Amino acid sequence: MQVNVTPRPHGHIAPMGVPEYFDAELLRRYDRPGPRYTSYPTAPQFGPQFDERKFREVARRSNAEPIPSDLSLYVHVPFCFSPCFYCGCTRIITRDRARGALYLSRLMREIEIAAPLFDRDRDVIQLHFGGGTPNFLDAGELSALIGGLGRHFHFSDRTDRDFSIELDPRTLAAGDVRRLAELGLNRASLGVQDFDPEVQQAVNRIQGVEQTLAVIDECRASGMRSVNVDLIYGLPKQTLDGFARTLDALLAVRPDRLAIYGYAHLPELFKAQRQIEAADLPDAALRLELLQLAVQKLTDAGYRFIGMDHFALPGDDLSKAQSAGSLHRNFMGYTIHDDCDLVGFGVSSISHVGDSFSQNFRDLPTWERALDEGRLPVWRGIELDADDVLRADVIQQLMCQGEIDAAGVEERYGIDFRGYFADALAKLAPLAADGLVTVEPLRIAATSRGRYLLRIIAMCFDRYLAAAQAPRYSKAI
Amino acid sequence: MAAPAPVRGQPIADDGDELRFCSTCAFASSCLAAGVDKSRLRELHMLVEHSGPSRAGDHLFREGDPFTAIAAVRSGTVKTYVTDADGREQVRGFFLPGEIIGLDAISESRYPCNAIALEPVVLCRFSFPTLAALATRMPGLQQQLFRLLSHDIGNAALLAGNHTAEDRLAAFLVGLSRRYAARGFRADRFQLTMSRADIANYLRLAAETVSRILRRFQDERLIRVRRREIELLDLPRLEKSALAVLRS
Repeated sequence: MQVNVTPRPHGHIAPMGVPEYFDAELLRRYDRPGPRYTSYPTAPQFGPQFDERKFREVARRSNAEPIPSDLSLYVHVPFCFSPCFYCGCTRIITRDRARGALYLSRLMREIEIAAPLFDRDRDVIQLHFGGGTPNFLDAGELSALIGGLGRHFHFSDRTDRDFSIELDPRTLAAGDVRRLAELGLNRASLGVQDFDPEVQQAVNRIQGVEQTLAVIDECRASGMRSVNVDLIYGLPKQTLDGFARTLDALLAVRPDRLAIYGYAHLPELFKAQRQIEAADLPDAALRLELLQLAVQKLTDAGYRFIGMDHFALPGDDLSKAQSAGSLHRNFMGYTIHDDCDLVGFGVSSISHVGDSFSQNFRDLPTWERALDEGRLPVWRGIELDADDVLRADVIQQLMCQGEIDAAGVEERYGIDFRGYFADALAKLAPLAADGLVTVEPLRIAATSRGRYLLRIIAMCFDRYLAAAQAPRYSKAI
Repeated sequence: MAAPAPVRGQPIADDGDELRFCSTCAFASSCLAAGVDKSRLRELHMLVEHSGPSRAGDHLFREGDPFTAIAAVRSGTVKTYVTDADGREQVRGFFLPGEIIGLDAISESRYPCNAIALEPVVLCRFSFPTLAALATRMPGLQQQLFRLLSHDIGNAALLAGNHTAEDRLAAFLVGLSRRYAARGFRADRFQLTMSRADIANYLRLAAETVSRILRRFQDERLIRVRRREIELLDLPRLEKSALAVLRS
């Protein structure tokens, strides 16, 4: 999945805390809607003035840079065999595998049209398959897809390249994981959410513990470098006991990374969520306790808090990058790879080339028609102006390092920080008074409490939020 | 919210008016040394015509066009090039704010190359016959004109020698740094306003080679590259490498 494309429950937030700083009262007070800042400006600012012609132009300009960025490729596979009721992703529910083959043929077309826009000496350092369910495509189809990408792009041979896939353990055949590893995929991300049978029933996702742990084992046995597991708190019928058992079962096998997302119930936006009984949802107090439980257990188990909703073992690349100050964030979440140009393929996928963001058509027929007519399926986007670039940098520093180097920003952009960000600093004042952030002339830093409300701090620097407080973002907790 | 102060952009030399020369004007100091200010120039019928802005990709003149005026770049970057018999473009040079284009047209009365704007460009055009006549009355201006002419020839010879790709690229960066510094802009940080394909073409290197060497310079902490921005972190070492090419 690419987060922030649309509001999506398990793409949706949960500020985390180490227990001693886990200030429930504060978290409750700051529980308000806000973007996740996988991009700035955020997707609601994308517009139709950014079209295929613009995309070709920004691609050409990106080749003209003295050292063109490495490439990061994202491929969206929208199909799922059955609907998980919490999900807000762009997805299509079908049991007809033939749709996968048809989709694949158009993906190949898209690759053929887009790849020549990027100079061949630009290595692909990151590749990610998201969904939907990427393994809706069988191993043979995924093999053809990776082969197609490999023919049209140059895959980096660096050992730290990240080639990853989201896996649904319920739809894997024996030997699939090994084949995927042989194709070069070295990271897997597994959706779990909660093992509690009551919860699984309520969200229509029945997935056994043994089945899941077997896939984790298989990933490791096949030589994959890292396994991530996604969990969600705030799901219907969720209990502290059940969630504790889920966490214990997973921590026993120590996934390299864990993401704990907060479920956002927005049934008016996401049809599938209408299947969920609002009465079954945990109340605000229980949500906080679930979150607190997860933070407690992960901290006790030695995991490091990376940012937003992500945890990693100390030896994982993300933890090391965080220590080294080289952590970055893009549409796929946190990453160790700096400043790649991101090229998205498939329905609804997002690209980030140079100082632009753009998104493919979100509905399948329109995406298909564009490709059948030999056009790139660009739906909308935005070209960043100088102010956007500056604010994106500041927000990225906050989300990744938890602090802003104001002196460095002044030097790099030739501005007076206090003057330029006078309005942002005014908005930060109450947050500083609440102990979320310290504001010094040369440095603005989230406190240990504030690290779990990073996006609340980042929102102070968002020029567009001042214009219109959008109701479409999930709450911060 | 209050309108933000402008973020630093490209250096421009756009501060002249009816009475004052632009700060980067190639002729201002010669004129002022001769006691000729801008209003005096008008009396001498030395018309200074500001033109543009041209858009990126616009041609300012083409090979074979009749030559009547030389032009100073007030803002933006201009690339000159010729097309060889096989239709391949050969980049001749890049012109920064304060620099003069068209000097190589003087001898033939026709432009021997094409000039294209790489970004929005504003020019300051001088009628060449008037300038030449004026120069006969102002020795300082005459000298400055000769200096510019010889510099232009030197520029063209700069990269013709049999130097390593590293040395040529170092010389290119050091050259840009000196040229920006000479016009009062920062010597240690500037935008590369030309594409890497243009740089490669100019230095007769492959585009991949340009990037590979710049990446190596970056790994060796000689430079830092951010998108189009180049920061020279160790000018003395770059100059050492450039010395073979620049010979000074």
